[in-house]
Amino acid sequence: MSISTAKSPVAVNKDPKIVDGLNLVLADSYALMALTHLAHWNVEGSDFFPLHKIFQEQYENLFEAVDEIAERVRALDAYAIGGLGVLAKAAEMEEFKSPLPQKDYVAALIIAHEKVVDDAVRTRNEAGTAGDLQTQDLMIKRLQWHEKTLWMFKSYLKN
Amino acid sequence: MEVIDELIGQAGTVSADEVDHLLELRWKLRQYDDAEGALKLFCEVRLRMEQRHYLAFFRMRRWLENHLLASVSICPEANPQFVPVKLDHYCVEAIRRASLCLALRRGYVLLAPRLRFMFREVEFTKGNPPSAPSRSLELAEL
Repeated sequence: MSISTAKSPVAVNKDPKIVDGLNLVLADSYALMALTHLAHWNVEGSDFFPLHKIFQEQYENLFEAVDEIAERVRALDAYAIGGLGVLAKAAEMEEFKSPLPQKDYVAALIIAHEKVVDDAVRTRNEAGTAGDLQTQDLMIKRLQWHEKTLWMFKSYLKN
Repeated sequence: MEVIDELIGQAGTVSADEVDHLLELRWKLRQYDDAEGALKLFCEVRLRMEQRHYLAFFRMRRWLENHLLASVSICPEANPQFVPVKLDHYCVEAIRRASLCLALRRGYVLLAPRLRFMFREVEFTKGNPPSAPSRSLELAEL
């Protein structure tokens, strides 16, 4: 019986930059989820019904996403960051206060999504460089969702 | 500035007149010393263009709110107190009044109030406006 001495894929791919990047995207996503939830509760106006509904779909998507990202960090044998204060500090996402005009909720969320996209792109690229295809794949999946959301939001604001 | 450059670059959606106003606004923001003038111009351009370019004007509003302060004095000789500026209105005087109301809600006593807008000296830190702006501007009598 022989015991394999080869390095596990996890050990090969565990890169502090990737872990940090994932934790940042985790924090960003958590902060965005909270802001989207706030918009869902407090939006008012002629577009209340569609916006209230779409904001709910989005925070539900983000709720699943944060779990997936955190578990990827764990799969890399590192620890996910957490706690509201810690996540908010890490994300440094500009927050908004209600009440706002309905279009302002959408515009503010666009800016928040753009921040997530910036950080996810960086993490995707770092994962690619390090050969961590699973993390890269996860970031690509998240980016696709954020970019689609951005397209829809920007279309709503266009006159 | 990039937001303004992008707007100017959108052929067909911005008139020549509007380009002039945007360029003037860009110049004033770059100079960073005439907050009253910049705010007045922003309000004029916003009134005219916001419905067609909502996101761009939201970004500009956000930037201005992060970089402007209202300096409120209870009388001409008093040391000023500083309150953040919210651009919820399209007219400078309405914004001025709203800033005064914010000062009142914070418990400032206002005898013969003076309020002037100014740019923040340092980068905005969330929740912590700078304590001493460095630029002096003409007072706006109320």
